[in-house]
Amino acid sequence: MNTEVNLHPSSELLNQFIQGELATGRSVVISAHVELCKTCSEKTKELQALAVSSWVDPDSSESSIRKTAGDYSAMIQNIVKEEQIKTEQLPELVTASLGLLDSSISLPRVLAKAAAKGLVWKKVAGGISEAQLPLDNETQCGFIYMAPGCQVPVHTHEGSETTLVLDGSFEDELGKYRAFDFIIRDQNHQHQPISKEGCLCFAVLDSPLTFTSGLARLMNPINRYRFRKAISKYA
Amino acid sequence: MYNLSAKQEGFSTTVGLTVRLTSVNSPTQDVHTEYNPAAISDEQLLIAVGNSQDINAFNQLFQRFSNNIFALGMKLTRNEQLSHDLIQEAMLNVWQKAPLYDLDRGTAKGWIYTLSRNRCFDMLRKQKRQPNCISADDIWPQEANTELMPFHEDSSGQEVEIALIERFFDQLSEPQRAVVEQIFMQDRTHEEAASILQIPLGTLKSRLRLAVAKLRKLIEVEQ
Repeated sequence: MNTEVNLHPSSELLNQFIQGELATGRSVVISAHVELCKTCSEKTKELQALAVSSWVDPDSSESSIRKTAGDYSAMIQNIVKEEQIKTEQLPELVTASLGLLDSSISLPRVLAKAAAKGLVWKKVAGGISEAQLPLDNETQCGFIYMAPGCQVPVHTHEGSETTLVLDGSFEDELGKYRAFDFIIRDQNHQHQPISKEGCLCFAVLDSPLTFTSGLARLMNPINRYRFRKAISKYA
Repeated sequence: MYNLSAKQEGFSTTVGLTVRLTSVNSPTQDVHTEYNPAAISDEQLLIAVGNSQDINAFNQLFQRFSNNIFALGMKLTRNEQLSHDLIQEAMLNVWQKAPLYDLDRGTAKGWIYTLSRNRCFDMLRKQKRQPNCISADDIWPQEANTELMPFHEDSSGQEVEIALIERFFDQLSEPQRAVVEQIFMQDRTHEEAASILQIPLGTLKSRLRLAVAKLRKLIEVEQ
């Protein structure tokens, strides 16, 4: 666990995450950051405790919403006929590492699970590859890999772009971003990311990011990076 | 373990309640007290549902939480039918998973909130036909119970530690010793150990937690 993470989701965003208010893509990228970042993991626990107490607070606005009065005994009777789960069935612990050139990194659990069926990498522009991972109908999600020394063409975003750095680093006009940093950029930012040492990110975009360069189509259309997955269960 | 013998609507009646307490100093004792159901904690109810399929305790939980679950559904789905379905989904999940609940997992309110939010999230995903490569339980995973490990896994120091544990072994109560033996010497899973010792999983975990805490303390004093 890296304790030197510089950039985190705001408390407001973490709170929305805890309360299940965000779409899947954004929930996944925050979950991955929380797994990697001790500060946010602790903050998330506190926010969850607050959410729970406001959930059961009889004076909260939510509590004024009442379910339709009715007879729930049939529902209860049906439920208690069901078998109980006696032994813990821990979800499959999927671990995965992405092999990139000469290094490989382990993915956060939620990303490993989401990517368990495999990734198809495509070159999108000089030195940049992406592997899309559809998670919801509102955002475009996927891994982005920048080879050492490569530069993303200047672009802006129509919506917002949420990026989690998984390995390596990149920089733009606004700063330098290292492993586990959580960055949000919107249409107000025009930026030109550059990565000296190479960088692997997971990004969630409100609207597809398209590069104007037509050269991208001339490059090797598909490049599969080795994707190793090992499935194991913890006892 | 205890039985709720009150009728479903019986807020005014008292019920017999037997709570089995395990603590470091007094291995096992049964306390029998008269309680008003309204005074029984959510945790006790949930444990009764998990340990003995107590339908009255489940009824109580349903009365306490179904409105909150409905309100959570309305907030997230803004749809009355879906929110009503969520009561069914979430309370079914509470019933099914109750045997897995123990006090190490935090408050019953927090546990039920997590189940309800997760079921609601999955319901919405299904409704919007989103890819099913992940579920809410992946996004908000259950915490691994690392505090049940007495020491960090470090093979270099392990021999010393085992010797230390053995020295303090007889200072544990008989039930605690049995649990430690199953888990750390026989290397069994929590579920296996609970079934061998014929105790509920929750009881096993709390005994283990207390035993480990005691061993840690004894070893700290020694060092």
